[in-house]
Amino acid sequence: MSHESSDPSAPPGAGGPVPDQPADGNGDGDGAHMVRADLLTGVILLVIGVAVAWASWEMPRLEVRRIHPATVPGLVPGLLGIALAICGAILAARSVRVAADGAGWRRFGATFLTTSAARVAATMVLALGYALVLVGWLPFWAASAAFVFAFIVLFERVFASSPHPLWRTVLTAGVQAIIVGVTVSVVFQTGFLVRLP
Amino acid sequence: MLEGLALLGDGVAHFLTWQSLFNVLWATLLGIIIGLLPGLTATMGVALLVTLTYPMSPDQAILSLMCIYVGAIYGGSRTAILLAIPGTPASAATTLDGNPLAMSGKGGLAMGLATTSSALGTLVGIVCLALLAPLLTEAALNFGSYEFFWLALFGVVISGRLTAFDDPIKGYVAGLLGLLVAMIGMEGLHGFRRFTFGMPALGGGIDLIPAMVGAFGLAEILVVMKRKVSARIFDASDRVVPRFKDVWKYRRTTVRSGVIGTFVGIVPGVGEDIGAWGSYAAAKRKSAEADRFGKGSLEGLIAAETGNSAAIPGSMIPTLTLALPGSAAAAVLIAAMYIHGIRPGPMLLVENAPFLYQVVAMLALATLAILVLGLALTRVLLRVMTVPRERLMPVVYVLCVVGSFAIAQRMFDVYVMLAFGIIGFFLREMRYPMAPLVMGIILGTLLDVNLRRGLALSNGDLTPFFTRPVSAVICGLVVLSILFSIPVIQRFVTRLFIKDRGPQSGGG
Repeated sequence: MSHESSDPSAPPGAGGPVPDQPADGNGDGDGAHMVRADLLTGVILLVIGVAVAWASWEMPRLEVRRIHPATVPGLVPGLLGIALAICGAILAARSVRVAADGAGWRRFGATFLTTSAARVAATMVLALGYALVLVGWLPFWAASAAFVFAFIVLFERVFASSPHPLWRTVLTAGVQAIIVGVTVSVVFQTGFLVRLP
Repeated sequence: MLEGLALLGDGVAHFLTWQSLFNVLWATLLGIIIGLLPGLTATMGVALLVTLTYPMSPDQAILSLMCIYVGAIYGGSRTAILLAIPGTPASAATTLDGNPLAMSGKGGLAMGLATTSSALGTLVGIVCLALLAPLLTEAALNFGSYEFFWLALFGVVISGRLTAFDDPIKGYVAGLLGLLVAMIGMEGLHGFRRFTFGMPALGGGIDLIPAMVGAFGLAEILVVMKRKVSARIFDASDRVVPRFKDVWKYRRTTVRSGVIGTFVGIVPGVGEDIGAWGSYAAAKRKSAEADRFGKGSLEGLIAAETGNSAAIPGSMIPTLTLALPGSAAAAVLIAAMYIHGIRPGPMLLVENAPFLYQVVAMLALATLAILVLGLALTRVLLRVMTVPRERLMPVVYVLCVVGSFAIAQRMFDVYVMLAFGIIGFFLREMRYPMAPLVMGIILGTLLDVNLRRGLALSNGDLTPFFTRPVSAVICGLVVLSILFSIPVIQRFVTRLFIKDRGPQSGGG
């Protein structure tokens, strides 16, 4: 997250295409890589908007049922699709005008190679693996216990700067995992009468 | 007026049972804990707990959820003061002065004043709620399709405009995405299934609760786990219970911040965080010690904490009278009310008048509870704060999965939660606000049905949307707020009004 203080290619002062950038700098999120992310999302939003508008136009108008032509089901989604496409176009066009050099893309790519990104990716993999694979394959308590155990061990051993001894992490994580798995299952099944997956 | 007072008395009396008091106690405590743990927000807490309140009676369920809401918004202040990171977004302004106070050894005083300010802020808001809600209901009873269409659009637009971090267009995009999500499933006028892609599960649309558990639960877990280092807790060993003179000295700030917070709360989809910032900015402008702000000013702390808490009753005003959520958490509360068979909106006061005053009583009880728990349980709460995230987040995620599954007992909702969590995380990383998304999801149906019903009533004629007085006013507000987010127009207007100060002061 350590990008240089200011973007040299961004036009200074009046006419700057990036509006509302507060002078006090409220965070580390802005910068060249954000401009590139905006370009990408702008294009995606434009495509989604056009697709939605098209799908709404093609939507049945229910003429057979003789509904009022102003109340066709596609009306509102169509308008929303157009609005989204406009927003996407503005977002993309604005980012194209800023920073024409390659630094933006490089920095945009670099944000995916940081430790933070690895931590997010690990969390996502664990979360998806638990919800999509473990739940349904193992009994709920066991699936939850396995997830909690894996999560704690991964973050306390692999991503920690000064990890505890392995046996301690494994032991405490195991105890917590079983307590969580069993408690959640029992509480929801007997307390709230939920049939767990 | 007298009738209102009688109903209010009934509302309070209604909850003076052991069962209610027990619910108030555990729910508020849980709310405070949710609030003070970074990564758990009020919206997520309320969304997760909807499942747990399923078997309760409607009044007890809403009571518990309301206590969680109030508790969480207050609980965030503790983390802001001692950890320098807001426990919930609502406490961001509290961090500015709360943490410098803790650093200079006045952490106890800061915690104490945050507690009394939160309580007083909620009280100011409660008074406004009790006075304004019946008036607004009376006006809203005359609203037709035209007005409700504009109100729904206004809710999404104003929320997008005011909650966007630096770029209004991202707020609008979030709102549009929410509205489009609401378009999925059977529409309300002709029973036609839109955007279901042949999947039967999509026929009923996307449920708000799993979506919220994803966008505020999983997404937040990802944000928390992304950070490399945990923060350090500042010691606070001085006296916690504030002296009366400290509270009394800033009475003007308290009342002003309470009123500002309430009115920010009334604005649809604009909640506690903006309430706190608004009160903080106003207090700084009026203060005799403005230079102390940001360096440990008691007044700044009081303004922020009063402002965010007052926004809660404020947000309940449009929520109850118009079914227009005043904040993201209030949107979840609306969903919970529907689950429990309570229909908020103009008819609420006609069909179920005692409920409005029961909400007032709920908020009053929650206020009492944060006062007692907040001042009494300092040490215990301090220990909760030290739970490492590596240990806490997996448990929270297990609850997210169970919580989204349990409502309809289908795995489809878990997939919805996952999708909203991951997309929500990326949107958040790119600085898209989440509140407009929630507003869009909950207001989409209202907007869609009322636009088309209005058009059918006027036989395709658009003029009633612009000529009916209330419609015209709301329409004007919508147009203005969109126009003002266009930089060129913003600069032009700024130049027009502040000619002699030069064009440098781009308002934001």
